[in-house]
Amino acid sequence: MFAAVFIPDCSLQAALRLEPDSGKQPVALIDSGLPKIGIVQLTTIARNFGIVEGMTPGQAMARCGHLKIKIRSSTQEKSAMQILLQTAYAFSPNIEATALGVCTMELKGLGLENENAIQNWAEKILKTLAQFHLESKIGIAPAPELALLAAHGTNAISIVQNANQFVSGLPVAALHPPMDILEILSCWGIQTIGQFLALGKNEIAERLGEEALELFERVSASSVRPLKLVSPPEEFFEQIEFENEIETAGPLLFVLRRFVEQLSRRLEAIYLVVAEVRFQLGLSSGEKYRRAFKIPSPTGGVEILFRTLQTHLETVRTDSPIVSLELSAIPARAQTHQFGFFESTLRNPNQFAETLARLTALLGAENVGTPQLISSNQPDSFRLAMTDFDSATIQNPKLRTQNCALALRRFRPPLPAHFGFRGEKPVLIRSKIFTGGVSEARGPFLSSGNWWDNNRWAREEWDIETTDGSLLRIFRSGDGDFVEGIYD
Amino acid sequence: MPVANVIQLRALLSEKFPGLRQHLNSTSKAQNPRFPIPKNSKPGILNLELIKGALMEIVGKNSGSATLLRELLYRAAKENQIVALIDGSDSFDVTQIAEDVLSRVLWIRCHQAGDALKAADLVLRDGNLPLVLLDLKSNSEKELRKIPATTWYRFQRLVEETNAVCVVFTPRQMISSAQKRITVRSHFSIADLECDTGELLHQLEMEISDERRFEDISEPATA
Repeated sequence: MFAAVFIPDCSLQAALRLEPDSGKQPVALIDSGLPKIGIVQLTTIARNFGIVEGMTPGQAMARCGHLKIKIRSSTQEKSAMQILLQTAYAFSPNIEATALGVCTMELKGLGLENENAIQNWAEKILKTLAQFHLESKIGIAPAPELALLAAHGTNAISIVQNANQFVSGLPVAALHPPMDILEILSCWGIQTIGQFLALGKNEIAERLGEEALELFERVSASSVRPLKLVSPPEEFFEQIEFENEIETAGPLLFVLRRFVEQLSRRLEAIYLVVAEVRFQLGLSSGEKYRRAFKIPSPTGGVEILFRTLQTHLETVRTDSPIVSLELSAIPARAQTHQFGFFESTLRNPNQFAETLARLTALLGAENVGTPQLISSNQPDSFRLAMTDFDSATIQNPKLRTQNCALALRRFRPPLPAHFGFRGEKPVLIRSKIFTGGVSEARGPFLSSGNWWDNNRWAREEWDIETTDGSLLRIFRSGDGDFVEGIYD
Repeated sequence: MPVANVIQLRALLSEKFPGLRQHLNSTSKAQNPRFPIPKNSKPGILNLELIKGALMEIVGKNSGSATLLRELLYRAAKENQIVALIDGSDSFDVTQIAEDVLSRVLWIRCHQAGDALKAADLVLRDGNLPLVLLDLKSNSEKELRKIPATTWYRFQRLVEETNAVCVVFTPRQMISSAQKRITVRSHFSIADLECDTGELLHQLEMEISDERRFEDISEPATA
């Protein structure tokens, strides 16, 4: 048995998928790629206004003033087709991308033994596709072509048990034969496929040629063509080109949420979660704004993914308005984490990542992170790295690598000062934090470095106790005298 | 009784592994109120207890508060805890700290008290970090005067909800809602720069008052 999943008016449904409410309004789709721009697909409500395929947008608007015109988008069709194949693959390993909006599946080996089981299985497929705002039909028959013919019927699910009985009543036009053959058959008085098959294979080949023979093979229950098996694409992306330029975050967030919902559901259908989100804004100037967000703990949670993007978007300022948006997801298997007795990892890494993003937005990336020491003798040498507490578990802590007694509170940058000396010892200091005498001093401690390049530095350093009891670290370099910090 | 067995097991675990977090009863402050303390700790600063879900204030002016902050970082690292250090005036000296310890620190460098409070608000709301250190000791008096008292009450509520410990370092007593206040009154001379760290920590003079009970619970503790 074979099943054909068919999305009627696939191009229109692909265009309206992100605006599910538009399906209940008069909407018509035009193809800007055609030499004569005309309506190619339309909603039932639009049809009720007397609009038909082939009309120009002007003619259609004359019949319905509030008709919404949409332009056919190959990207959105591609997304819809990806969804169809990915959904189908979750239900059968043998699938074929038959045509735009049509996927044929083989039921062999799925354990669907009776009609009830097949009915339930087909309902699940329709339900999954409905989550992506794709209305579809399924035909199930002993041959792929018959399954597709059944899918074109009026019922959402059509199961063909007796192939001959099913095809005999169908009009010949359902096979979409060439016009000349259709005319000949019409002249012969052959209206249904049953009458056509009754002519016999050899007679049809002899009198009507190869094209008619092909038609015969298509509807013959005895000939089953093998499927051209495909694997579902591992791309998960959503894209939209806005009709009007976007200048504020509001409408963008609205669409973005829809995208996140769709991508999350697509991955959920194949038991995956989002590990990374790639985000691209097309600007009216032609430039692209791209950003990738790695999700610390891969998840399918719409709220978490959306908040990550929203937090970033709140800080984005573009030079020109936004004309398109593309969002793609990199999938991964859901991670399970066993918390250990002795480790203290983050309970909610995604929440923490969002907090870090907010802190970065508040203070700048150069002010938030985990400090790392730089191998240099130059004072106050460090860099701030991205936090990665998962890999920072201390297995065998050797904590005090330096025997430093009192902690220093640094002034960044060091405070300019002026020192008075008696011999090699500073005896007076004039600075913003203290002006007065020095009661005791240790030093000078000489240090220098980078003499081999342009960043050469050299300094004389003293630890001093001032007359008011404060302990300061001061130094003199080529740039002058400075207070480096206060011991506390 | 299985329940009794579980209790015995927990007691055994907490005795053998004092650094172990027991999440099941962590919400009950009465049963497990303190941040774990090393079993063989000495008196003085090493016995300083941090109350879970409490806002604490450490008051001191050039009297060892930075040394105390550094010691808290080391203690947290020993227990494998992650620490947020919100540095109100970007004065933290990282070069004195071992890399092992730094790897467990989220350092948030601020240049104004206002920014530090906003950052503290975000970190406390996050709820992932068990120890949050907010250092306002080097911020100017003008900035500190602008902090409304309601901020500390809000922080206190946040800390209670998340069961974290929030320690605020201030130059003077300014947090009326602090559940515990420690005033550091040490005085150091230039000779102390050559002391061993452990020796110096025992010299720290601290006055600990428990604001919740409106009474002093400890006298100046010196080793």
